[in-house]
Amino acid sequence: MNLAVEIAGLRFKNPLIAASGTFGYGVEYEGVLDLSVLGGLVSKGLYLEPREGAPPPRIVETPSGLLNAIGLQGVGIHAFVRDVLPRLVRYDTVVLVNVCGDTVDEYADVARVCDGVPGIAGLEINISCPNVKKGGLAFGGDPRMTHEVVAAVRSVTRLPVIPKLSPNVGDIAVFARAAEEAGADALSCINTLLGLSIDVEARRPRLGFGTGGLSGPAIRPVAVRMAWQAARAVRIPVIGIGGIASATDALEFLIAGCPAVQIGTANFVCPGIYARILADLQAYLERHGLEDIGAVVGTLEYPGLPRPCDREVCE
Amino acid sequence: MIVRMPANGIVPLVEREGLGGPYWLLSFRHGETAREARPGQFVMMKAGLSAEPPLRRPFSILAVDRQRETFTLFVKAIGQGSHALASLGCGEPAQCLGPLGRSFTPPPPGTEALLVGGGYGVAPFRFLGEDLGHGAGRARLFYGGRTAADLPLLDRLTGLGLTVVPATEDGSLGVHGRVVVPLEAHLDEAKRPVRLYACGPEAMMHAVARIALDRRLAAEVSLDPWMGCGIGTCLACVVRVQGPEDARPRYRCACTEGPVFDAARVVWPGEDASGARRAAEHDGRGAPP
Repeated sequence: MNLAVEIAGLRFKNPLIAASGTFGYGVEYEGVLDLSVLGGLVSKGLYLEPREGAPPPRIVETPSGLLNAIGLQGVGIHAFVRDVLPRLVRYDTVVLVNVCGDTVDEYADVARVCDGVPGIAGLEINISCPNVKKGGLAFGGDPRMTHEVVAAVRSVTRLPVIPKLSPNVGDIAVFARAAEEAGADALSCINTLLGLSIDVEARRPRLGFGTGGLSGPAIRPVAVRMAWQAARAVRIPVIGIGGIASATDALEFLIAGCPAVQIGTANFVCPGIYARILADLQAYLERHGLEDIGAVVGTLEYPGLPRPCDREVCE
Repeated sequence: MIVRMPANGIVPLVEREGLGGPYWLLSFRHGETAREARPGQFVMMKAGLSAEPPLRRPFSILAVDRQRETFTLFVKAIGQGSHALASLGCGEPAQCLGPLGRSFTPPPPGTEALLVGGGYGVAPFRFLGEDLGHGAGRARLFYGGRTAADLPLLDRLTGLGLTVVPATEDGSLGVHGRVVVPLEAHLDEAKRPVRLYACGPEAMMHAVARIALDRRLAAEVSLDPWMGCGIGTCLACVVRVQGPEDARPRYRCACTEGPVFDAARVVWPGEDASGARRAAEHDGRGAPP
């Protein structure tokens, strides 16, 4: 039975990837789980320099979800390459770096540092973090800026470029196409939904930053819808993200047209979740008489629309 | 310090005992935590296998039984997560990741350990008190709350070689006043070197930190911010700490670099530098021992 998938020229041994910001730099989970179980992992967001992040409180639990404003605290790309990567390359998994910037130039500079570094397989471009004052959503909320950032990164690296799109937009298809035209190899959909939780006694936001990004099972239907819309809009692969905590959840994204998925908030809840989801995915394939996980991708029967996997034939 | 990696497992509740009101003693079977845990460490727990509430909760370890391979938590059921845990029946499962975090530093030989526990913050001090051994007068616990009902663990702290001094703000049990009142009285009389350990409400720990700084005493506090993961990946539980090498305070994860911190290195709410740094800068005394 084959669970391996290929995205942007990279071979993932299975379609489960640990999402940025929910898996640290990977090495924190050494000993808790075997990192070689993962199809891939995406580093915490990295700027050129270390970042302090947002003032606490940084997380609030909400119904079936988590509202966070960590503010991209991080060690910076140089420390990651120097201190973390040598430990990560010991594992048989695909390592993607989540690239951040305050400016277009900074995104390109971080990408340049990563280019040619053994062990870095690709770049996820973070144009959708709602918890920083500059960069982030400023680039992901305007299709022209999305195009500019992706093109700038594209021009300085041979690594696969995977922009991570924001759900905090009107029509994600517009952003998906802008990123594809700028040279993206794949897309990650979606980042967190902008939210606000209020302490009614103090009449203040519960988070130190004010607003935050909502994640977890609460956002899954929104995420499946947006990943599906993005996948229908472009020819490059779309990696689905949003509230996945089981094989059934992952299959929703696969059927909607995503060849792989990222697991985020569930890492906090259950660090050993990968082995269970993989076992359940295999059981699903067996039950449906399928040999290859790819046979599930894009098989959504949506009334009045061609199946995503049949689209090119229809066109 | 963490010496071993934490273990993630499904652990059955093996014993539950109500202590009145919202307070419970809950014992779970988890060999790794029972064997490896040190006083001051914690576990991330979630009742049952259901999705709600989403996150696990951190709990200090009250005691371990290495023979039975169990550990015990002192739980005050005040929110969704702690209520769910306290509602478990014997044999029912919980999700557990542990043991986690940095433990208390044992006092040097000849030093009296003074433990200051406020409310359910007393939890790690049964374990620490037991660990410090049964040498008479070697450890003293100041156990404070608003009223007598806030000290449900009092009769479980005997037989540990620990002198327990209760204090209540309404005077219904023990010393009348905040827990730092008997602490300061003891410090005024103390003949031997002492080392302070505090766990409880933030204002109480801040007060103990100030007392330690004023008297140039070593002190450790166990901080309790909201945690997401327990192993340093979500970066939610950061506290501002200024180490000897830091020009400015830095955010550090309470789960991996704490929860136990040197009280003089913590930047408390409303302050802009650690106590050690302010003491060094303002009166040239240098950092406390």
